[in-house]
Amino acid sequence: MLDSLESFFGNYYVYWTVNYFFLIYGIMLMTIYFSGVVLANRAIRRTKKKSTFLQVQDIVSATDIPSVTLVAPAYNEGMTIIENVKSLLSIQYPYYEFILVNDGSKDDSLEKLIKEFDLEQHDASFITQPIPTASVKSIYKSKNKKYTHLTVIDKNNGGRADALNTGINFADTELVICTDADCIIEQDALLKMVRPYLEEDEEEIIACGGGIGIANDSIVHNGVLKELKLPENLVPMVQVVEYIRAFLLGRMAWGEINGLMLVSGAFGMYPRKRVMEVGGFDSKTVGEDLELCIRLRIHMENLKKPYKVVYLPETLCWTEGPPDYDILIKQRDRWARGLWETMSLHRKLFFNPRYRHMGMLYYPYWLFFEFGAPLVEFLGMIVIILFGIFGWINWPFSLLLFFLVYLVGCLFSTAAIFMYVKNFDHYTKPKQIVELLLAAYLEPFLYHPVLVYGQMKGYYKKLFRIKSGWGAMTRKGFKVSDS
Amino acid sequence: MRRLQKIEASFADIVSKYLYVSSNDSITIKQINTTLKDVGIKPRNKNNIQYLIHLMIRTQRTILGGHFNKLQQLYAQIPPYGVSIGKINSRNWYRKARGIREIYEMNQAQYFDEIFKLINHKNIYVRREAQIAMVVFSGWESLRFLPYLKKNMTLWQQIKIVEKLFDLHPKPKIKWLHRAYETDKLFGKKLLMRIIRKYELHGETGYILDHLNHEDYEVRETAIYCVQSFGLSSRSVNYIKELYDDIPDATQQGQLLDYIFENSEMDVDFYLRQLYSDNDELKLNIAEILWNNGYKEKVQEFYYEQYSKATVNAG
Amino acid sequence: MRKVLVIQEDIIILKILERLVLVNDFQCKAIRSLDSLSIEDQQTNFDFIISDILFEGIAPLEFVAQVKEVIPHKNLLIVTNMGQDKIKQEIFALSGIDGFYAVPIDLDEIEAIIQAY
Repeated sequence: MLDSLESFFGNYYVYWTVNYFFLIYGIMLMTIYFSGVVLANRAIRRTKKKSTFLQVQDIVSATDIPSVTLVAPAYNEGMTIIENVKSLLSIQYPYYEFILVNDGSKDDSLEKLIKEFDLEQHDASFITQPIPTASVKSIYKSKNKKYTHLTVIDKNNGGRADALNTGINFADTELVICTDADCIIEQDALLKMVRPYLEEDEEEIIACGGGIGIANDSIVHNGVLKELKLPENLVPMVQVVEYIRAFLLGRMAWGEINGLMLVSGAFGMYPRKRVMEVGGFDSKTVGEDLELCIRLRIHMENLKKPYKVVYLPETLCWTEGPPDYDILIKQRDRWARGLWETMSLHRKLFFNPRYRHMGMLYYPYWLFFEFGAPLVEFLGMIVIILFGIFGWINWPFSLLLFFLVYLVGCLFSTAAIFMYVKNFDHYTKPKQIVELLLAAYLEPFLYHPVLVYGQMKGYYKKLFRIKSGWGAMTRKGFKVSDS
Repeated sequence: MRRLQKIEASFADIVSKYLYVSSNDSITIKQINTTLKDVGIKPRNKNNIQYLIHLMIRTQRTILGGHFNKLQQLYAQIPPYGVSIGKINSRNWYRKARGIREIYEMNQAQYFDEIFKLINHKNIYVRREAQIAMVVFSGWESLRFLPYLKKNMTLWQQIKIVEKLFDLHPKPKIKWLHRAYETDKLFGKKLLMRIIRKYELHGETGYILDHLNHEDYEVRETAIYCVQSFGLSSRSVNYIKELYDDIPDATQQGQLLDYIFENSEMDVDFYLRQLYSDNDELKLNIAEILWNNGYKEKVQEFYYEQYSKATVNAG
Repeated sequence: MRKVLVIQEDIIILKILERLVLVNDFQCKAIRSLDSLSIEDQQTNFDFIISDILFEGIAPLEFVAQVKEVIPHKNLLIVTNMGQDKIKQEIFALSGIDGFYAVPIDLDEIEAIIQAY
């Protein structure tokens, strides 16, 4: 076996092809990251300047701004459902509706909601469901006038995407924002999220995302993040860095060239009309957020209408990241499967000039560098092992190269952390910055290999058609302060 | 951060004392200027000055009537003096737009001519602020320039213009509105409809009605949004019913359907016509209206006829 | 002496309203959030409460309902930046609201109400 592998890789052309493949791939990735830093920096500065002319105080008092419905699905969240609903109801926006979709919970969520919010059942016979979903059992509205903006839809279980579609069907506002019931949304998040829609010029905004942050071990009071703390454990701590880097260097940079293909499912805003036109979220994939965004883009390309997908750099939504390796692996396994499904579903985009930049640049990027990265890393490890066995590796040079790549990686993380700390009012204490940097420098050794394992696990399941759902995401819950 | 908070607190104190003079605790302009200097409002501290300007604008925008005028008297006597005019001559769009904003918020009408030149500026923020300034300084008369604006006007631009017009020029001057009706710009049409809505100009609702079946989705959307603020005569509602079938979007038809239902007598023939039409998307809404208003048998009759096609969610 | 409670997060509006109340010979308790309310304050029967509706962690309608329930008062006036007609209607639907003023406000109107008391 080893002999045949040695003779295969020993072939002059194969040997150098393999070597150059990894080298060129690495250089391309570094170049993309470097461009990301430059573009993100420009985007953040521009966003800040623009916001001078469109301040939240102006928006909150304006009359003709678009109405927004926040749709949040909930499944078996009885433990925290009341606090979560109160938190989401307290979001500041003048034309705001909140739809909670109880997606066939088996616990006492509905009973608790009925009791706390004085809900009464409404006739569901005449609900129009332009997007087909699992059947709706009942609609609930509060008898208490202080909860006028709350609607609870009780439906049979159909999964997250199906629950979101139910909420979108029922919403009658111009914009819908999709999130999870257990996310903590910043109080002025909607006022900030509508900005791009208010400033929409020739290009229609088809999706808008906001930064998402990890708030494990932070303190929550009245559904508001009272004190943002760094997580105590390494796994969520590294995720803080990972999210900062992904949102600042990734999303903001791609947003700057209108190349965003993903608006996170945890916090994304869309014009309801466009979502209805494309038939809502695809409930057959576990990567429904990415899939919807791509489908919306394809829809606009087909309509030949100019459009934009935008991202706001500020963290507007806080969530609890996987607290340990087990749950992290499950999460990344699911994300990888979602990515696989979406890439395969929209493979017609691949170098298809009909879809302009999306076909020629954005989709290939996603395929090679988002979908392909774990595969390349995995293959890289195998090649290193094999070449090591065959004695073909110049170890001093390899270690030097490894060290160089590690340094460059650390440099990008450091840049992202400093950009975040400088521009936003989070993690400003020196101790927090040091901890973040430390987490970033440990990430390649203690976190990243696990991530690759989770992703490869997802690909393996897809490759061998092993059925798997969302996987349980156990959450500890935020620390709640009574004071 | 703490420095800015200190400036804010001092400024709040100054403004409150200046607006409401108490015999035992009054404040003079000299004391005000000293206080501002003490908290860091000095020519070399540009960030502090910028923050003070922000506070001045913010405060002015919260007050109307006599106290607004009093506030303007105060602003004329405290720093910064003449900062904004320097900004509008800047090449940097951000400084330029900020300068225009400061000038119109501070009501420095003497710079109007310089700002007027910028209403078609290539940068969206510069031209937006210049257009708002034009409304602030010229009021209703500024509408006559609407047909001459070359670039699109965003929703926020329209909102700000309507708000400024309403806050500073509350008495409508229909003459200028009628002249602006000549505009063929879509943003202009939307702006005019928003003005009619904001001022509740019942006599001008015809302009809105005429745009309910406009070919552009957003113009229709604005027309539907604006018409919802008015209670119309039965003649006008009948006119809307006539336009109803020309509207190519089901969601917009649905919005109009709700409006027609809430603002007119039950017109069974109209709803039955819709129920039996080819437009499937709103049949449930129409059925619901008929069902809840004493025409259950008509709905049953319809569904018996088309039973196989029915998609009622039986829950 | 007659007492007024002013609750406004915006310190400039807070100070202006506080001053307006003081020069009209009322006692004034001016706070930026309900958290600053002492137990003693909660037992005072205020002649007026002049409050905003936008506060962290609580929906505007729920805030008004809470103020109505928790703080004894004779008149409740709302002064807010979020003063759209829709919000006004929803606030009045809660009943027990004596005035609603959307920013920008004419301070003379509020003064006239207080003076007429």
